[in-house]
Amino acid sequence: MNIHLFEKLQNDGLVSPTSTEKVRLISANKLFSLHWELKTILYLGVLLLSGGLGILIYKNIDTIGHQAILALIALISAGCFAYCYRKKLPFSWNKVLAPNGFFDYVLLLGCLTFLTFLAYLQVQYNVFGTRYGAATFIPMLVLLFCAYFFDHLGILSMAITNFAAWLGLTVTPLQLFQSNDFFVTGRLINTGVFIGALLVFIAYMGDRKNLKKHFAFTYSNFGVHIFMIACLAGLMGDGFGNRYGDENGYGYLGWFLLMAAVTVFCYMQAMKKRSFYFLLIVALYGYIGLSYMVVRGLVAIDSMGAFYLGMLYFIVSGIGAVVFLVNINKRIKKA
Amino acid sequence: MISYNSKTLDNIEVIEAAEKALHKKCITAEEYQQIKTAYPVDLYTPNPYVRIGLFILTVIIVFFSFGLFCLLTMNGGEKAIGVLTFIFGLGCYAAIEYMVHEKKHHKSGVDTALMWMSGSAIITAVFIITDMHMPPSLMCLLVLLPATFFVLRFADVLMSVVAFLSFLALLYCILISAGWMIIPFTMMGASFAVYLAAVQLAKVQTYRHYLSCLQMLQIVSLITLYLAGNYFVVREVSNEMFNLYLLTGESIPGGWIFWIFTIILPPLYIFAGIRKKDRILIRTGLFLIAGIVFTIRAYHSVAPIEVAMTLGGIVLIAVAYGITKLLQPSRKGFTSEQTDDDVTDAIQLESLIIAQSFHQGGTQGDHFDFGGGSGSGGGASGTY
Repeated sequence: MNIHLFEKLQNDGLVSPTSTEKVRLISANKLFSLHWELKTILYLGVLLLSGGLGILIYKNIDTIGHQAILALIALISAGCFAYCYRKKLPFSWNKVLAPNGFFDYVLLLGCLTFLTFLAYLQVQYNVFGTRYGAATFIPMLVLLFCAYFFDHLGILSMAITNFAAWLGLTVTPLQLFQSNDFFVTGRLINTGVFIGALLVFIAYMGDRKNLKKHFAFTYSNFGVHIFMIACLAGLMGDGFGNRYGDENGYGYLGWFLLMAAVTVFCYMQAMKKRSFYFLLIVALYGYIGLSYMVVRGLVAIDSMGAFYLGMLYFIVSGIGAVVFLVNINKRIKKA
Repeated sequence: MISYNSKTLDNIEVIEAAEKALHKKCITAEEYQQIKTAYPVDLYTPNPYVRIGLFILTVIIVFFSFGLFCLLTMNGGEKAIGVLTFIFGLGCYAAIEYMVHEKKHHKSGVDTALMWMSGSAIITAVFIITDMHMPPSLMCLLVLLPATFFVLRFADVLMSVVAFLSFLALLYCILISAGWMIIPFTMMGASFAVYLAAVQLAKVQTYRHYLSCLQMLQIVSLITLYLAGNYFVVREVSNEMFNLYLLTGESIPGGWIFWIFTIILPPLYIFAGIRKKDRILIRTGLFLIAGIVFTIRAYHSVAPIEVAMTLGGIVLIAVAYGITKLLQPSRKGFTSEQTDDDVTDAIQLESLIIAQSFHQGGTQGDHFDFGGGSGSGGGASGTY
């Protein structure tokens, strides 16, 4: 804070001398924080170490040395968990702060090495046999437990991606589109709708029952995206319809109604929570869904006039959406 | 030159400072309200998320308007399309001025989108009209001029990056006839000059509205300064552009100079940053450490990747641990504790990064991948 500015404000009679004194005290004692730099280094360190150990054991899997590496991994994992267990603050269903800056990263390292350990056991001794579901289900349980027990948002995100993986869906932020062939299999769409709805429901209930309220954002973030994308995939499943008679029936109408209902629900929740982020994504997904319906209708008309109409639709609806967002922004700021 | 009212921009600064002071309970809520009425801000700057939405929607509107515009005048030939695009670009520019002066938009997403569309429309129009028959240096100039104009007019941060890079490209195009040995040093010199200029200008009161542009220029010029002297960049670019026909393992003449630059610059940045308490230098230096690692690994295999990763991870954790312990309690004005106010967004972002870098794909079919730990190697390679 600029002390000269507040001195000027004081001269103008806008700020009392005691307030200026407080500002002076704070700006004089202002420290240069290396917090985020150190956190990033630490994060990269954990990333490299756990990744390196994973590859190390993978490459040496049939040599004599791998037992030692395995023991090392187990030791690191156990050590990390022991450290976290000893240091952690008492459990509560509210937000629990980390006791120090390293806690979160030690826990992360512990969980990652534990996952490597489990995966090794599966490859070498086939502990889960051919029940491949169990091979993702058990890590998921462990991660979920750690996320709640130690209060860690990153682990929770990993647990959610693992949960989706168990059901056959890849939901990490960047691969959501690449790895899932939504358009080919209806099963994936249904799974996506189920997972998305479940996650949104968990977020909603957690928020209402006051069980780890701050997890709600992570749950609903994954949930809304998965649900909406699955819905859009269902909606657009048969392209723009068959102009020589509609053989697929009116399935897309069902998807549209489902999506509209959830859009309204999320919109109301976002307004209640005053979350700009959810307002934006809900508005954009809703806009895509609506535009698809309009374009589909225009394709059915199948004339040059409809083409021009479509162009006009996008211009007018775009301006409408801009006005909508601007007004929402004003409304939330006032509230 | 700047399109906004200078007084209003100053008022924004005052209100932001007052908001921070209110957050730290230095001033009372009544005082904050008084300041707000004494320093009115009539510009419209929405929340960042809303800004993204407005940006996307404006791009959609402009694209379809352009499409409709072209459809109505479809049978004019290629030159006519070029002229139309040019007129369209000017129209977009008029729209920004309208949004800024009448609707009081200030970095609202709408003006940003219009600015990019206007710039690209004008440049594309020139390309269409001239049929791309122009020397590369002219093309760079063609980008440099509108970008500089937009920076001066709207103080847009990303546009300043475009302007700077097109300036360097222009320099490169001019120097290309002078031989490969000259280019790295001139590039480094130009980057360094821009860096120094940006640091000096950032201190000048007159240019206060361009502060974020100047800070961005500092970051980018520090990076180009490093890249211009980086052994990998110099060797590969020279080999490619000047047909040196180097075999693998062969070095460029005088390569040791560039090895010195490659290895010494990032630590130098960090050292200078710590001495001057300059966050930009520290962060850029830390980021460019990755450049050292990458360059060395590109030519010398010090250790197999997994050993290097494991050891590197241990070293990084040790460094972070050591510095944190050293700074408890705070020492010489440095602290490892967090001092900034709002952190919730950063934490949410962090959890997403964790989910992304330690990913586990969906189990498809009945083969089992070696998941978990080994999967994270994919995330690590991005940072290396």
